[in-house]
Amino acid sequence: MPRETEISVNERAFIQQALQENLRLDGRAFDAFRPLELTFGDEYGVADVQLGKTRVIARISVDVAVPPPERKFDGIFQIIAEFSPMASPAFEVGRPSDAEMVLSRILEKAIRRSNALDTESLCIIAGLKCFALRADVHIIDHDGGLVDASCIAVMAALQHFRRPDVVVEGEKATILSVREREPIPLSILHQPLCVSFSYFEDGEIFLIDANLSEEQVRNAEIIVTMNKHGEVCQIAKYGGATVDPLALLNCTNVALQKVKEMSKIIQGKLEADAKKRDAGGLMAELSAENER
Amino acid sequence: MSDLMTVVLPGDDVPPDDLPKAQNKKKALKLGPGLRHIPPETITTTIAGALVTDARKNAAWIEYNSGRVSALPSAPISVQPIVILDHVCHSRPRQAVPSGGSIGTQLTLQQYLASVGDLVIATVLSSTSEHFNCYITPHTHTAALPHLAFEGANRKNQKKLPPHSLVYARIVNSGKDSIPEITCVDASTGKGEGLGPLNGGMVFKISLSMARRLLAGRKGGVSVLEGLSEKMGFEVAIGRNGMLWVDAGSVKATLAVGRAVQEADEQGLGEKGQKKAVDRALKKI
Amino acid sequence: MGPETILSHLHRADGSATYTYNGYSIIGSVNGPIEVPRRDEHAEEATIEVNVRPAVGVGSPKERHLETLLHNTLRSITLIRSIPRTLVQITLQIRSLPEGEAAVGVNSSLTLLPHLLNTAVLALLSTSVPLATIATSVLVAVSPKAPTPLLSPTATELLRVKPIRSIHVFAFSGERKLLLNESDGAFSVNEWDEACEMAEEVCCKEGGVGLGEGMDVDGQQINMEGWLRDVVRRKVELEQRWRTAD
Repeated sequence: MPRETEISVNERAFIQQALQENLRLDGRAFDAFRPLELTFGDEYGVADVQLGKTRVIARISVDVAVPPPERKFDGIFQIIAEFSPMASPAFEVGRPSDAEMVLSRILEKAIRRSNALDTESLCIIAGLKCFALRADVHIIDHDGGLVDASCIAVMAALQHFRRPDVVVEGEKATILSVREREPIPLSILHQPLCVSFSYFEDGEIFLIDANLSEEQVRNAEIIVTMNKHGEVCQIAKYGGATVDPLALLNCTNVALQKVKEMSKIIQGKLEADAKKRDAGGLMAELSAENER
Repeated sequence: MSDLMTVVLPGDDVPPDDLPKAQNKKKALKLGPGLRHIPPETITTTIAGALVTDARKNAAWIEYNSGRVSALPSAPISVQPIVILDHVCHSRPRQAVPSGGSIGTQLTLQQYLASVGDLVIATVLSSTSEHFNCYITPHTHTAALPHLAFEGANRKNQKKLPPHSLVYARIVNSGKDSIPEITCVDASTGKGEGLGPLNGGMVFKISLSMARRLLAGRKGGVSVLEGLSEKMGFEVAIGRNGMLWVDAGSVKATLAVGRAVQEADEQGLGEKGQKKAVDRALKKI
Repeated sequence: MGPETILSHLHRADGSATYTYNGYSIIGSVNGPIEVPRRDEHAEEATIEVNVRPAVGVGSPKERHLETLLHNTLRSITLIRSIPRTLVQITLQIRSLPEGEAAVGVNSSLTLLPHLLNTAVLALLSTSVPLATIATSVLVAVSPKAPTPLLSPTATELLRVKPIRSIHVFAFSGERKLLLNESDGAFSVNEWDEACEMAEEVCCKEGGVGLGEGMDVDGQQINMEGWLRDVVRRKVELEQRWRTAD
């Protein structure tokens, strides 16, 4: 089976040598992200993220389901990230690789378990009906930094998504179509984002947002998830090598700064998109009607 | 090379008028990549691109840039890169001698020769008792590089190459039905002639057409390397599989050379643009 | 207006294409020819693998069905015998579907099929996999409310003429040969004939060897063969721009 090809010894040595001379092959600073591009689809809840050559599309969809009996007052929220051969011939359909497992696990911890989405707001009738929200993450192009890019995509898509409004009369719930009533945004409690640190030279050098070849050379990886208020949602460390605890502390400081920058970019893009949709200020009128 | 190019889609019949007219009736028509001959007299295309003809060499091929052409060993001979045609022409008298036989056999012969002799940068994957298993592009069948196919190698003195090291090699046999074979030595002289393990330096990905142009020399219209070499010294190896190996001594200089070529490639720079790229690269060092 | 396309835009795949038309947006990628797993290896021909990935959720029997149809059609246009013991891996990721697509009430795998096939052909062209010919595909819908069959209708157009009696998908080769036909609903032989003729008109270049001047017949009709040729012409121009650049 085609395996992910390993980097050549020449490239490995060159990248390491360059790092010791304070150089990254693409000319970035050690703590710089690649240029982030974020676009939204025509529909609500589709975010297309490009981080350098890495490209990820997240899509939110909603359905009505019966809530699990042990959580009567909650809705359902799932994140599904599956690799396809599009991103690399080594990704096989139906046979998850390690990278795929790491991605799913981190997204689960970072977004779902940190309660980024208020799942209680998805409840329609306790114990009977709720919204089942689903985030599909499609990896389109892979040049490293999948976790960071996917997290941005899912969070941006969640904030962009609008769910249909619902009217409840006793035990009868009616889902109102988009034509009948303006759909409503999800209730997002906070916006966690991931920042990946790659360690080289026994922890002496760390890079933010490593690309694929840097990822193949690194000793260890630390993924910090944080929101812009500086609350750490999760920290994960993969890849054996030991890391100084103080360095870890330093990571969280750098991560906070990066998360703030990224949140700002996402916010800006969301506002620009809302403005584009709201041609002629019709939206304000519609939502005003809804409130009455 | 004509400026006006005919754009073709797979399955287009090439009208006889578009093919080069042989001045010499004895000279067989050579078909490069993307063309196939359906007996008796039909020539059709198999890939999308521009039809290019060369009346002097009596050759025709489809110029294209994308895709995994470099999967040479397992790829069909008919999609072999055309530069090899040049190769064959000005290297050794390897050209097939066209006889009165049917076009069909001549075509095969020409195309076979065309595929052999390609220079590639291969990556060693593993070693067996007889040869190294190397891959020319990721995720393809490996090619065999015999332990003895190095300059000065014999039973007692054999090269040791760790996994994932790079070699500059020539394709000896790209047979469709056998394991492809590559070599680092010229069989007739026993010399390496620049082939062999690549130590140090860095490889840069370039497009297939860029590799083709670099190997084609002046005709390829790439002046970046020449321009840089006037001011600095460096070593390069160009692999037809879309790889460029550079060693200019220091990290900065190597990067500058590699990036200048990539820039010319990605932005499709003309002569002036390339000069500017050279100046920018020299400033960085 | 023909379908909008972007060719060879993905870095990792050997060839790729994004196709946007009538609210359908599909990203296609091709890896190949690459090493094939032993169990799928054929001694004399290449193996073709098609993956259709829906926008929402993971593949269901509907996608498997589409994959089979696409596989057979693509296999017949690829020169599989010239690349034996290799794998050509085609992945089609559906990015978005037109609004109201579900409300039309027809077999949604058929409305999607022509777009998937066109995307796959574009991605194969981008990869330079050897092909015997090209394929172009189109959807035709027959409704009692419309005087003539509708050619590659949008979702809104389909909604307007509801109920739709039958839908047909046709794919033609560059030599005007019918490669694929899938029909659903109740129809007469005459209706099928008419639909097939219309599809052939759109898919294939008109009469003999043209130079791809088939765009914008009747102001809105497109010719798929001409459109494909135009896409390739633009790709060639981009690749050759160094010849004319400063």
